[in-house]
Amino acid sequence: MSGTLIDFCKQLNPTPLNLPEALLKAAKDGIEFQHHFPTTRDEAWKYTRLGRVSALKLSPVKINPSADPLPSSDSIDIIFENGTWYCAQPTAGLHIDFSGDIDSIAWNACTLQGHVQHINALTAQGGVAIRIDANTKLIKPIRIIHRLNGEHTGLILHHQFVLDNHASAQLEVIFEGLGDDSYENILFDFFLGVGSTLHTDMLQQTKGTHYGFHTQRIYQRKDSTFALQTITANTHFTRNEIEVFSQEEGTHTQLYGAFIGQENNHIDNHTYVHHMAPNCTSDENYKGVLSHKATGVFNGKVKVYKDAQKINAYQANKNILLSDQATINAKPELEIYADDVKCSHGSTTGQLDQQALFFLRTRGISETKAIDMLINGFLAEIVGAVKSSHIQEALHTLLD
Amino acid sequence: MLKIDNLHAAINGTEILKGLTLEVKAGEVHAIMGPNGAGKSTLASVIAGKEDYEVTSGTITFEDKDLLEMSIEERAREGVFLAFQYPVEIPGVSNVNFLKTAINEIREHKGRPLISAKDFLSLVKQKSSFVGLDTSLTSRSVNEGFSGGEKKRNEIFQMAMLEPKLAVLDETDSGLDIDALRIVAGGVNALKSKDNATLVITHYQRLLDYIIPDFVHVLYDGKIVKTGGKELALELEEKGYDWIKSAE
Repeated sequence: MSGTLIDFCKQLNPTPLNLPEALLKAAKDGIEFQHHFPTTRDEAWKYTRLGRVSALKLSPVKINPSADPLPSSDSIDIIFENGTWYCAQPTAGLHIDFSGDIDSIAWNACTLQGHVQHINALTAQGGVAIRIDANTKLIKPIRIIHRLNGEHTGLILHHQFVLDNHASAQLEVIFEGLGDDSYENILFDFFLGVGSTLHTDMLQQTKGTHYGFHTQRIYQRKDSTFALQTITANTHFTRNEIEVFSQEEGTHTQLYGAFIGQENNHIDNHTYVHHMAPNCTSDENYKGVLSHKATGVFNGKVKVYKDAQKINAYQANKNILLSDQATINAKPELEIYADDVKCSHGSTTGQLDQQALFFLRTRGISETKAIDMLINGFLAEIVGAVKSSHIQEALHTLLD
Repeated sequence: MLKIDNLHAAINGTEILKGLTLEVKAGEVHAIMGPNGAGKSTLASVIAGKEDYEVTSGTITFEDKDLLEMSIEERAREGVFLAFQYPVEIPGVSNVNFLKTAINEIREHKGRPLISAKDFLSLVKQKSSFVGLDTSLTSRSVNEGFSGGEKKRNEIFQMAMLEPKLAVLDETDSGLDIDALRIVAGGVNALKSKDNATLVITHYQRLLDYIIPDFVHVLYDGKIVKTGGKELALELEEKGYDWIKSAE
């Protein structure tokens, strides 16, 4: 069976996931209502065109539900390779499930916001559900690797990650899509229980004319901490949508991102932080480096609800354009309904510091190496926050 | 070592150096003094190879090679060092990391083996104590959060690490108190040998109490208008630059 994405949405029914009826209906209505893909007239898609994506002829990846055991390593590995799941033996307090039987309580908290999520809800072929029991502090990081080869393949996954109260974990997520005209729509729902902590490092490093759509929705309960580092490196097309719901008091959210684009790459980062409860903090820092004809988008929205007092929300976006033809579209948005909050946002775009470049060269360092050093230095804040040694290594290779 | 002959240089179409001639031999210390706008910093920038300046005529040879034909980094690898008047801050680039890269690029240029991690660390230790630079600063980002004095010491530290043949100190005394001045000058003096040379560019005579020059040149309106021994600096200090201007 092959067809366009909209064909998929219409044909795949019911979905293999146990989504509540209401959600499915909302998703269907969303797709029906649009009849076509959003255009640049839609505010959320002002700088990202979907013409090519809507015309892709796709064959869905066949999912093999059997999860073969992986040997143990320095991380708990979950590898999705061309339709087959490979998984390490979970340690105590950790549950990994591929049956698609997603926690119904968690589902009720879900909202479906836009086009990417509608498609995911209607067509998700599966996903991994991870649950960490209360008070469990995982020592080894969990590593999820997505490997997708082949042209014209379509992969739609919906993952779920639940941390019960006072649990803590470190997660690494890697996307290694390969193959021209392929499509990937991968959604994560993170549920953070009271006092839980999750550190997530994400690396997007796909090859070929691959179209990647990535959603992370984060639901945070009281005193939980969520940190996400998203590194996007030379991907043909990436759309990241991150939506955080800070639902109870005392949460901390850190969203860091570094995106590096070259040639005709298009990298779009949309973030939306909902501060629904008082006494919470959020820290957002995105940095972009674009060369050739690459295009970047940063759209960061923070909404502070009426009774969410004493919020400290910080947002920064800095970009370096290495060529005259590279473009960045930056749009910070603040929507504040409480009166006792501290919110800041700033966005800057410029070229490499010519004086710094001159200085390094006067010390005998070649121009190319000096430029690399300055780019490394520019991204150091973000890269330094990455805990995953695997991703650190990949970055060193990439940036050196 | 350095021969500058009838050098003319301009920035954005405005001529700043208007026929400057100067020769510096190995083992010598030369001081260039002059009023604001005379072209002192332009001279330093042109020697280092800053691309904003256009050399319209004249020549610079360094160790019998055409310096103007070399890229900025080639000049540095051949042994030219510029201590900046306003050292740049580079967030995220560590002082020692960039110096290690610099040393290795210079070694590679000379066909010498790369420096080992152990040798490099002991070199850092030795040279930083030598210029009185706190070792905690050596591993921080280049000049980020450094005081004015620390930045200048860091320039001399880099000079000590890279061991250039010709060091050009562009207004290294500006913004320094007497103690810092003494340490910086002490560093420069200790690095002096019969094989290297120093070009000290300064506005005031003060620095020359600590770095004793063999020659003092007065730069005025893009040209060297007077050359003498170290006593010329004292005379200038006493009479002011107007004395030179009126003598013209």
